[in-house]
Amino acid sequence: MSAHGNAVDPKKAVLWDTEYHGHDVISTRSLGFFLYLLSDGMIFATLFAAYGVLSYSHNYFGGPTPSQFVHPWYTFTQTVSLFLSVLAYGMGMAAMKNRNRGGLISGLLGALVLGVVFLALDVHDMAVLAGQGITVATSAGASAFIVLTQVHAAHIFFGLIWILVMIAQVSSRGFTTDTVGRLLSLRMFWHLQAIIWVFVYVFVYLWGYMS
Amino acid sequence: MLVQLPGGWNPLLGRLALDQIPYDNPILAPLFVAVVVGTILLFGLITYYRKWGYLWKEWLTTVDHKKLGVMYIIIGLVMLFRGFIDGLMIRTQQVWANGPHSSGVFGALHGYLTPFHFGQVYSAHGLIMILLAATPLLVGFMNIIVPIQIGARDMAYPYLNALGLWITAAAAVLIMISLFVGDFAHNGWFGYAPIFELQYSPGVGVDYWIWTLQLTALGTTLGGINLLVTIIKMRAPGMTWFRLPIFVWTSLSANIIALTSFPALQVALGLVAADRYLGSHFFTAGFGGNLMLYTNLFWIWGHPEVYFVILPAFGMMSEIFPTFSEKPLFGYVTMVAASFAIAGVSWMVWLHHFFTMGAGPQVNSFFSVATMLVGIPTGVKVFNWAFTMYRGRITYSAAMLWAIGALFMLLVGGMTGMMLAIPAINYMVHNSVFVIAHFHSMLLVIVYAIFGSVIFWFPKVFGFRLDEYWAKVMFWLFTAGSALVFVPMYMLGFMGMTRRLDYVFNPAWHPYLEVMEVGIAVYCLSVLAFVVLLYVSIRDRVKNRAGADAWGTARSLEWLAHSPVPFYNFAVTPHVNARDELAWRREHGMDALEPERYVDIHMPSNTGMALYIGALTFVLGFGLTWRIWWLSLLSLAAIILLMIIRSFRGDDGYIITGAELERMEKEALRNRAQADGKYVSGGRGQVAGTAIAYGRNGASMGGDPFNSSRDGI
Amino acid sequence: MSHGHSDPVQHPEVQMSSVRGYLSGFLISVLLMLAATYMSATHAFPPFGLLMVITVCAAIATIAQTYFLLHIDTAEHNIWNTVSLVLFIPLFVLTIGLTWWMFSQLYLHTMPAMTGMH
Repeated sequence: MSAHGNAVDPKKAVLWDTEYHGHDVISTRSLGFFLYLLSDGMIFATLFAAYGVLSYSHNYFGGPTPSQFVHPWYTFTQTVSLFLSVLAYGMGMAAMKNRNRGGLISGLLGALVLGVVFLALDVHDMAVLAGQGITVATSAGASAFIVLTQVHAAHIFFGLIWILVMIAQVSSRGFTTDTVGRLLSLRMFWHLQAIIWVFVYVFVYLWGYMS
Repeated sequence: MLVQLPGGWNPLLGRLALDQIPYDNPILAPLFVAVVVGTILLFGLITYYRKWGYLWKEWLTTVDHKKLGVMYIIIGLVMLFRGFIDGLMIRTQQVWANGPHSSGVFGALHGYLTPFHFGQVYSAHGLIMILLAATPLLVGFMNIIVPIQIGARDMAYPYLNALGLWITAAAAVLIMISLFVGDFAHNGWFGYAPIFELQYSPGVGVDYWIWTLQLTALGTTLGGINLLVTIIKMRAPGMTWFRLPIFVWTSLSANIIALTSFPALQVALGLVAADRYLGSHFFTAGFGGNLMLYTNLFWIWGHPEVYFVILPAFGMMSEIFPTFSEKPLFGYVTMVAASFAIAGVSWMVWLHHFFTMGAGPQVNSFFSVATMLVGIPTGVKVFNWAFTMYRGRITYSAAMLWAIGALFMLLVGGMTGMMLAIPAINYMVHNSVFVIAHFHSMLLVIVYAIFGSVIFWFPKVFGFRLDEYWAKVMFWLFTAGSALVFVPMYMLGFMGMTRRLDYVFNPAWHPYLEVMEVGIAVYCLSVLAFVVLLYVSIRDRVKNRAGADAWGTARSLEWLAHSPVPFYNFAVTPHVNARDELAWRREHGMDALEPERYVDIHMPSNTGMALYIGALTFVLGFGLTWRIWWLSLLSLAAIILLMIIRSFRGDDGYIITGAELERMEKEALRNRAQADGKYVSGGRGQVAGTAIAYGRNGASMGGDPFNSSRDGI
Repeated sequence: MSHGHSDPVQHPEVQMSSVRGYLSGFLISVLLMLAATYMSATHAFPPFGLLMVITVCAAIATIAQTYFLLHIDTAEHNIWNTVSLVLFIPLFVLTIGLTWWMFSQLYLHTMPAMTGMH
C-alpha cells in the first residue's frame, strides 16, 4: 500500500466527516494578511536593492548627498513618534484581551495621533528638502532616497485611514469576529511599519548621513 | 512636481484627444468596426434572450471558485487568441519584408507594418501571452481544481478571489483598449531603459504597458495569497501534506513564487512610472540613473515568473500521466521535492537574462551554475513521468497526447535552456531568435499542458467530455504547426538572425521564414479545430455525459465529487484516508459510497463589489495612462471608499439546510447513474478493448451499482 | 477546530498580546536607535566600523520587534506565520545581496575609476 502514502486500514476507514466545521476564520484571515505583508516586505527589499545600487557617489550627479541634507536628531524624533504609536496600538490590543473597549479605543486614538505626528514631521522634512531644491528630479540618488522614504510614509498614511475605520467599527460593533480579525491584521501591519522603519532609518538616513 | 509633457494636455481629458484615435489606420479601423459590431450583436443577443439577469446573478457577482476559474480561463483563451494573432502578424511581416526588393504597403517601406507599429505588435504579443494568457489560464485551473482536490468547500477568501479575477479582467480590457485609443508600448514586453523614458517614448504606449502590468501583478498577488492560505488552512480532515495531489503541491510552490516575486515587478514598473510621471532619474541615461538597474529589477521578477507559469503545468502533467497509465505517479516525494527545488533555485538565476551586461566572470559563473542546477529537479520530473508510463496500461486519449507533447517540448526547451545557461554560448546567441525558439518551446509546454487539462478537467466542470476525435485533430495540427514554426527558428538563430526584426535583411533566410509562415497557417487550422471541437462537444453533450470519475481511472479527490461539481463541491466533507484517495476507495470498493446524512452548510453570498472595484481599477489605469488626474484621484478614492463600505457591511453568507442538500444530492446521483461508464477511448466511437479495463481487482466492484456497467467495457 | 461561533476575544492571537512584551520591544528598539543616532551624529567611529555598529543595532532592534511585536515564535497558532517569514528572509537577502554584488562587480569591470562607494 506504499503507493497510497500511509493509507489507513480500509475496514476502519472513515469516508465522510459530518462534524467537520471548517477552518478557524480569524487565523485564516491573519495568515493571509501576514503573507500580504511579507510580499509588501519584498516591495521594500526591492526598493532597498535599488537604493543600494543608486547610492554610489556618481548617482548624485554632483548634487547634494544625504550627508548634506539628513539631520539625524530630527529624524530620530520621527523614530520615537512611530515607536510610541506602535506602543500605543499594542497597549490597545492588550486592553482588548480583557474586553476593555475604552482601553482599546484610547490605544487606537493614541496610535492615530502619534502616527499623524510622524507623518507631519515627514511632510515637513520633504517640504524643507524641496525648498532647498532637492526633489526626485534632482538626481538618481535623490530619487532613490525620496521614493524609498515616501513609500514608507504612504504606508503610514493608509494605516492611519485604517485606524480611523477601526475606531468607528469597534465603537459601533464591539468585538465581533470581523472587527477582532481586522484589528489583528492592522496590528501586524502597524508593527511591521515600525520594523521596516528601523531599516529605513538606519540604512537610508543614518548611513546616508555618515557617508 | 509633475513632469513637463511634450504635446497637448488639458485638465478635463488629460492627453486624450481625437487625433489619438487611429481611425485612419488600415488595419485597426476595420478591426474596430468589427469589434463594435460584435459587441452590439453580443449585447443584443443577451438582451433578446433575456440573459442579463442570469449573467449578473450566476457569473458577474459570483464568488464560486469554479465559475471564477472558468472566467479566468475564458479571459486566458481570448487573450491567447489575441496573442496568437499578434504572432501571426509578426511572422507575416518578417516573411514579407525580407530582402531589399520586398514590397511595402500601408506606409511601410517593407512589408505592411511600420517599425513603430511592429514594435507595438511584438511588445503586446509577449505581454499578453505571458501575463494575460498563460497566467489567467493557470490561475483559472488552480482556482477550479485545487479546492476540490483538497476537499474544501471554497477558497479561503471567496470575495478576494472574485476581486483578483476582475482586476485581471480590467488589465485585459486596458490592453485591448490600447488598440483603438492611443497606441501601445514599442519597447518589448519587458522594456528597456532608457527607451521607455518620456524623452524617447513620449506617447501613452508605455503608460498603457505600465498600468496593464501593474494590474495583472496586483490580481496575481491577490490570487496567490488566496491559494496559499487555502492549501495551508482548508484541507479536508485526513488530507495530510503527503497525501496532497501533485497539482496542489505545484500550485503551492508556484504561488509562493508569485507572492514573493510580483512585488519586484511592481517596484520596477513603479519606478519607471516615477521616472515618467514625476521626473525622477532611476533609469535615465543622465543624472546618475542606472539603465541596467531596471533590467535587474525586472528579471528579479521575470525569472521566478517563468517558473510560476511552468510549475502548475508540471502539476497538470503529473495528474494526467497516472490517470491514463493506470498507475500511481512514480516518485511522489521526489516530485514534491523537485517542485520546491525549482521554486527555490528560481530566485538565484535571474542574471542569465543579461549575462552580456558584463558583470564579470565570477557573477556570470554563479548564475550560470545556478541556472544549470534547475536541470536536476526538472530531470527528476521528466524521469518520474517516464517511469509512470513505463509498464503502465497507457490509453492514448487526447488529454494524454497533449501531456506527452508537453513532455517532448520540455525536452527540447530544457536542452536548449542548458545550452543558454553557458555564458560562452549565451554571448553568441544573445538576442538571436535561438533564444526566442527556446522560450517558446518552454511556453509551449504550458500551452500543451493547458489544452491537456482543458480536455482532462472539462467533464469535471461541465459534466460532459470533449469530443476525442476533434481534440486529437487539434493536437496533431497544433503539433505540426509548432514543429514548422520553431524548428526553422532554431536554425535561423544559429545563422545569426536577431530577434524583433521589422525588416529581415538577408534573402537567404527566406525559405525558413516561408516554412514558419506555413506553420502559422497550420496553427490557424488548429484554432479552427478547437472551435469545431467545442461545437461538436456541445452538440453531443448528452452522449458524452460523464460520471463522477469521467475517465474511469482517475485517482485524486476531485473525481469523487459529482460532474459537474455542485456549487458546494462536496455535500459532506470527505475524510481522506490515502494518497490518491479516489483510487484507494476504488480499490476497496468504496468509491460509490455516499454519506448517510447531511448537515447544514454555510456558503458565502454573491457580491457585486468585486466587479465594481475591478471596473474602477480599469478606470484608474485608464486615467493614469492618459494623465486625467481628476479621474484617477476619483477612482482611487472610490476604490478605498468601496472597500470601507464593504468592511462595514461584512459578509454573513447563507445556510443550505441538510434537507435541501439531500434533495440536490439525490438529483445529482440520478444524473450520475445515467452517465457513468460511458467513456470509451481510442478515437471516435471505437471500443478500446481491454485498455480501459477498470481497476485490477474488478471483483470487489461486482456489487457496485454505479460501476458494474464498466466491467463490460 | 472551529472558533467561528466562540468568543473572538478568546482567540489565541488576541490573547498573546502582553503589556510587558510591547514595552520591552519599545524600550529595546528606542534605546538602540538612540545609540545608533548618537554614534552617527558624532561620527564616533571610522565609517566602516560605524556601519558595522549601526547594522548590529538595526539587527537587534529588528529581532526584538519581530519577537515582541509580531509574536513570531513556534507557538502552534503562529507557526505558519513563522514558517512563511523564515522562507521569505533568504529571498530578501538574495534580492538585495545579489543585486548589490552584481553591480559592484559590474562597476569594477566597466568603470574602475568610479568604484569608490559613496
